[in-house]
Amino acid sequence: MPDITVTAVRKPMERRKVVWLASFLRAEVLLLLPFLLFLGLFEIYPLINMAVRSLFDTNGTFTFQNYINVFTKPQFRVAIRNSLLFASAASLVGGIGGTFVAALAVRLPSRWRNFLLSLYALPMTLSGLVVAFAFIVLLGRNGVLNLIVRRAFNLPPTVYFNLYDWPGIVMVYAFFQIPLMTLSMAAVFENLDPSLIEAARNLGARPWQVWRYVVIPVLLPGFLAGMSIQFAGMMGAFGTVLALVGMAKNLLSLQIYSHASESTYNLPQAGALAIVLIAITGVALALLSWGARRLARRGT
Amino acid sequence: MIRWILFVFLVLYIVVPMLMPVIFSFSVFWQDILPQGFTLRWYEAILTRPANYEALLVSLTVASSAVLLNVLITVPAAYALNRMASKWGQRLREGAMILPLIFPPLVVGTALLQAFTRPPLALTGTLWMVIIAHTILGFPFMFRIVLAAFQTIDERTLSEAAASLGANLWQRMRYVLIPNVLPGILSGALLVFAISMGEFEVTSMVAGFTAQTLPLRLFQQIRNDMRVASAITAFLIYVSFLSFMLMSYLGARMRRLRAL
Repeated sequence: MPDITVTAVRKPMERRKVVWLASFLRAEVLLLLPFLLFLGLFEIYPLINMAVRSLFDTNGTFTFQNYINVFTKPQFRVAIRNSLLFASAASLVGGIGGTFVAALAVRLPSRWRNFLLSLYALPMTLSGLVVAFAFIVLLGRNGVLNLIVRRAFNLPPTVYFNLYDWPGIVMVYAFFQIPLMTLSMAAVFENLDPSLIEAARNLGARPWQVWRYVVIPVLLPGFLAGMSIQFAGMMGAFGTVLALVGMAKNLLSLQIYSHASESTYNLPQAGALAIVLIAITGVALALLSWGARRLARRGT
Repeated sequence: MIRWILFVFLVLYIVVPMLMPVIFSFSVFWQDILPQGFTLRWYEAILTRPANYEALLVSLTVASSAVLLNVLITVPAAYALNRMASKWGQRLREGAMILPLIFPPLVVGTALLQAFTRPPLALTGTLWMVIIAHTILGFPFMFRIVLAAFQTIDERTLSEAAASLGANLWQRMRYVLIPNVLPGILSGALLVFAISMGEFEVTSMVAGFTAQTLPLRLFQQIRNDMRVASAITAFLIYVSFLSFMLMSYLGARMRRLRAL
């Protein structure tokens, strides 16, 4: 191996290419093999298996019934609608909040910026249960913040911020989503070349023109990429909701979970719901990436 | 001035919720605005109650195994994919990043659950299944960090330089590549470990009664005993926090090395 590479540098290009290809086939593919095998066996095969099984009922007869159920049974239709609304709301809160935090972070001295960004990387590894617990203590019916506000304004105990309804759930998920977006957008803001803005100003652009033609075109592709991550993550999220309200809220993700592992055990149905979830996420990701590409082209 | 007020507010936004379980876990009871008393009883409950202690051991086993598997699978793959200059290489690199977005943990869990129910691979409900699931969940994070490490050290130029000095593949690995990307691998390992320790969603789907991890235990305790739950929650926060302290230390070291 080493001698081949050494001689390859000295020999003409043609030979070098052949040698490179040969060594590539030997070493590189071999190194990729464990990864491909693992992913194939434990991710791709199970997914295909699930897709196939979703086309059979529990007795093993071929049927589209599981998919017809998804679009006709009210419980599933409501679940899809709720999931779309919830994922959109949580992504928007995360997207706007995270962009705001990142915009502030890049204006700080580098020491404090690094501190803030490290802090905002922390929620990435936190269990959904940990965050649920934290917010129950903080904002549950007798949570600390609710008590403080009630005492301060002398309110009756019937007044409290309701953590266990949609706005509360979105707020708890924001604790994951805002930091996630902050990390994506901080990288985007750092790529925004200040001299570009200066140049535009020197050429006589008004503030709104600077935003419209310089800042937004640079930021938007990154923003949309961040939104894809937000939306995809939120479509599949259920741990924190489960810890907060159990099955009291109807989400597509919770339906999949309950059909896969709880009382309403029906794996082919869970598989069909999961395929629909993949399809919805896939369409959303494709739309966002199409939008980003279109904007990138118009920006240049 | 406004900037610094906002800064403090943003720091509190993360720190205050994280402090709640920690304060809760050290107090005798907390019914009013302020907690009362100081105790280590709830931490003791993790170590002395067999169900909790076993869950802790299971979690540590699963997290370490997921880290080990990820290092074995992802590091060679990141090395190989970093060298693929072709369009295919680019596509594979992007695909590996997008995979977890299209197939979220929930979907992977549902699929894993029904794929390995029969011999020779009757894994559903065993510890193996949990380890495999956590390896898959951790892989994108590991891959991104290690790939970035290979890219920042400009692995190809470095390898070629070493090769032209007569170093063979083993020597290049041992003396040039591994030392240079080690901080990246360690960062990835810490991230995978922390994620695995806290993972609840997929675990609750694929784990049977034999593989109860700490977060699964926590889920039950949130309904039964908030005080023991607070100690488990606080413990998981410490794990995340320590991992991130180590990771930012490694990150700072990497930046210093690059500056030299």
